[in-house]
Amino acid sequence: MDSGALQIWGMRLLFVLLTLLILFFHLLPLNPAPSQWASPDLLVAMVFAWAVRRPEYVPILLVTGVMLLADMMLQRPPGLWSVLVVCATEWLKSRERRQRETTFFLEWLTFAGTLIVITILYRAVMMVLILAPGALMLSFVQVMMTIAIYPAVVGVSYFIFGVRRSAPGDMDRLGRTL
Amino acid sequence: MAKNGTNSEDYTTPLRRLLLAVVILCLLGLFFIWRIDSPRVERFRAAVIDTVIPSFDWAMAPVTATVNIVRDFRSYQRIYEQNQELRRELRQMTAWKEAALQLEQENAKLRDLNNVRLDPRLTYITGVVLADSGSPFRQSVLINVGSRDGIVDGWATMDGTGLVGRISGVGPNTSRVIMLTDATSRIPATIQPSGQRALIVGDNTSAPPIDFLESPDQVRPGDRIVTSGDGDVFPPGLLIGQVAQDPGGRLRTRLAADYERLEFLRVLRDHGARRVSNPSALILPETPPGATDAAAAEPEQ
Repeated sequence: MDSGALQIWGMRLLFVLLTLLILFFHLLPLNPAPSQWASPDLLVAMVFAWAVRRPEYVPILLVTGVMLLADMMLQRPPGLWSVLVVCATEWLKSRERRQRETTFFLEWLTFAGTLIVITILYRAVMMVLILAPGALMLSFVQVMMTIAIYPAVVGVSYFIFGVRRSAPGDMDRLGRTL
Repeated sequence: MAKNGTNSEDYTTPLRRLLLAVVILCLLGLFFIWRIDSPRVERFRAAVIDTVIPSFDWAMAPVTATVNIVRDFRSYQRIYEQNQELRRELRQMTAWKEAALQLEQENAKLRDLNNVRLDPRLTYITGVVLADSGSPFRQSVLINVGSRDGIVDGWATMDGTGLVGRISGVGPNTSRVIMLTDATSRIPATIQPSGQRALIVGDNTSAPPIDFLESPDQVRPGDRIVTSGDGDVFPPGLLIGQVAQDPGGRLRTRLAADYERLEFLRVLRDHGARRVSNPSALILPETPPGATDAAAAEPEQ
């Protein structure tokens, strides 16, 4: 196995470890009392940030597995949020080629739009199937917090984990341009 | 080079689309199976959590302890005020303790006269809180006792003073407690001096509202709320909290259990609790209303 493939698999492993770390902090029993405050959904921010920069680090099956595990652990209806996130990730990946030259601000707007759309879809499906989707305000706070934290997630991915867009000269292991 | 790239993409794109379609179908299928037959999928979820969380536990306990120590340390900043507050409370408590002792003696005397034996059915198992629900939309905790320790769905859990919630979802080593504050929690209760029946309806706030109250004028803030035992949900007489009124005039529950710090929970063994074994048992009566008494009385083959 050459160094390129090794690096890709290393980053996939890192992605799984970061996911487990995020879930771990979500599950800490620090304050079981209900609050009006919702923490940002770091997992979605990370998946989208990585998918836009390096689609090969977050292949579809990995995203599916990770999101399904999160659904199971965080007491969400299993599969619904995962399917929305997987679709959104694939859509972002397909745009990635065109987005390469755009600014960060546009990317942020795209992220915000995607997140808002999938959150609305999520709540709509839950309402149609007579499931309690939870307080609207709480969802709103969570979406806003996630949008606000996105630049930080991108920054940490970029500077600490080295997830950056491939440069024009980069080739994959078959010698194709990325 | 560029032509090569597009060529190979022609091969990979349909495959990728197919994979995406399969994944979407599987996920949607899982979601709809969950919606149709949720007990089975929830059992699967309990099994997943039962394998994952105990492997996190070695790290969870120290991190939680550290954060709590840092929080406690921060509270030293207002130690003087706290001290004063505690002194005031202590004075009140001494008076209460005196009253309680007198009542206890009187109670013991009366029991002795009547030859009363306390109900030995209500024993408990104590568990440690392992994990949170992890989501702001769900109010539940995971405790470290499960079916291995004899825990059964539907049993009541309390902290030292008040009711915390209901067991829902049991794995071999862990079980989930849905708290009274969860949006799906409905607990039949009695409000004490007036004897009014009501439901404590969780709505994801720290003070669940009191609903289905027959005459709210007879209930005053400060009244005690205990479980009523209706519908065999919980054993009667467990302390839930006190009545409080919010600024909008709505009656709410000030919970007796300390939800800010749940560390240990008592699961009350309750062998009289109604067990729900099949999904329809919650809604349907055991014999369909159309069946005659004779048909119901017939012995099963």
